[in-house]
Amino acid sequence: MARMKAMHPVPAVLRAQGLVKAFKGRVAVDQLDLTLAAGDRVGLLGPNGAGKTTTLLMILGAIKPDRGTIDLAGHHLPHRRSKAMEQVGFVAGYLPLPENLTVREALSLFAGFAGIRNPQPSVDRAIAEFGLEELADQRNQELSSGQRTLVSIAKATLHQPRLLVLDEPTASLDPDIAGRVRSSLLDLHRRNNTALLVTSHNMREVEALCERVVLMSAGRIVADGSPAEIATQFDVDDLEGAFLKVAADLRGPR
Amino acid sequence: MNLTRVKAVIKRHWLILFRSPHRWFEIAFWPLMDVILWGSLGYFIAQENEASRASVPYLLAGLVLFWTLTQVQMTGSTAFMEETWTRNLLNVLTTSVKPIEYLAGIGFFGLVKLVMTLVTLTIATIALYGFDLSAIGWSVIPIIGLLIANGWAVALIVVGLILRYGQSAEILTWGLNYVVLAVSGVFFPIEALPAALHGFASILPTTLAFAAARQVLDGGAVPWSSLGLATLGTVAFLALAAWFGAAMLSVFRSRGFITRYS
Repeated sequence: MARMKAMHPVPAVLRAQGLVKAFKGRVAVDQLDLTLAAGDRVGLLGPNGAGKTTTLLMILGAIKPDRGTIDLAGHHLPHRRSKAMEQVGFVAGYLPLPENLTVREALSLFAGFAGIRNPQPSVDRAIAEFGLEELADQRNQELSSGQRTLVSIAKATLHQPRLLVLDEPTASLDPDIAGRVRSSLLDLHRRNNTALLVTSHNMREVEALCERVVLMSAGRIVADGSPAEIATQFDVDDLEGAFLKVAADLRGPR
Repeated sequence: MNLTRVKAVIKRHWLILFRSPHRWFEIAFWPLMDVILWGSLGYFIAQENEASRASVPYLLAGLVLFWTLTQVQMTGSTAFMEETWTRNLLNVLTTSVKPIEYLAGIGFFGLVKLVMTLVTLTIATIALYGFDLSAIGWSVIPIIGLLIANGWAVALIVVGLILRYGQSAEILTWGLNYVVLAVSGVFFPIEALPAALHGFASILPTTLAFAAARQVLDGGAVPWSSLGLATLGTVAFLALAAWFGAAMLSVFRSRGFITRYS
């Protein structure tokens, strides 16, 4: 399979090269290179302040890098951002949904934002795919955290993106709901070959969702490989061990 | 420009208005209170002094035209602020909606709210004081057009300031209108202003628009040359405001200010 990929390289859905971002002199992201092919499932991990969210926001065009280039879904940022975002979805566990709208209305609205002229079929499909039938006519503020996360994912997939970017999608969810969210994401990946780029502090979640992990510390990539390869690189049993080692190195000796 | 996305922006803000009864205050209640306040003041002045009988039409024409600018400006500014209040800004920024499409959506939505406000004002001024703005005639249309464009320009500046300085700049949404109210001669000729302000007031396109309305109301001819000058000034003001908004969006993206709203 790897040989096949080498012979017929899969077009990159994301190619970020040499990204640098500093805020008031403090470097948040430093010379970051990141490439995702169609259908890749990549976890972006690192301690707080490692630069994960800044990296995601640069990839999405919400923050402009100081240096470096980003090609997203075949379009160069920032000039072709709108065109690129037609093929990218974004979900953040910490972002609310518009209040006073029913789930169906909110989905219809975001279908419009995605430029879908007749939103009804896309909305119906998303509701069916994520099992939201019973919630469709409830207002967003009446939903539980888990339900809101599912609606957020449905919202981000209305236009069937090639890449879904998820920033801590299951933060503050109980394990049962978090498991349901993960299953939905894997189903989505299997159905549409959607590439996933996920940040999370839940190592088990990353191991379950992602085939590749990029570990960041102080704005730099310190490891890139499968969860097992990363554990081997840090000479620990699992991803959590590697994460803890990186965090300890960052803190320095006590 | 993708019209589907523009329509989605309009729908978003229409649903907010439709579902929030308190937001109807700025369409119906505040304009009505203003009509009562300024109409009664004009009526009182006219009663006291026969020579001032024009004060009711002066004040009410100024008020209706001022609300034209205000409604368009406030709708544009508060529609954007709504995204910050509800932490929806990142949701919008990470869709394919372009800044120009977003602005077109809230600009059009401002026109919808303006029509509703003008209906309220017209009914109130006719019913309570027997004043009908259409007495100005067709020339009211270019005057209203100029004030709409100036309202959009002020809204762009407010949005730019919020992008740059965050929610603390929101106070300017209401404050900037009072600069226009004070120095544009909304209710009186600018000669009544302190002498030091004459120069500044006379170059504002809004001053020329309000003065044109009063001239026609007094039975004079439409001052087309004056309206032409106001049009040039308005185009320049809009271009400056668009440049400022774009520059502030660039600063917003460069400095990562989106994290204020996520």
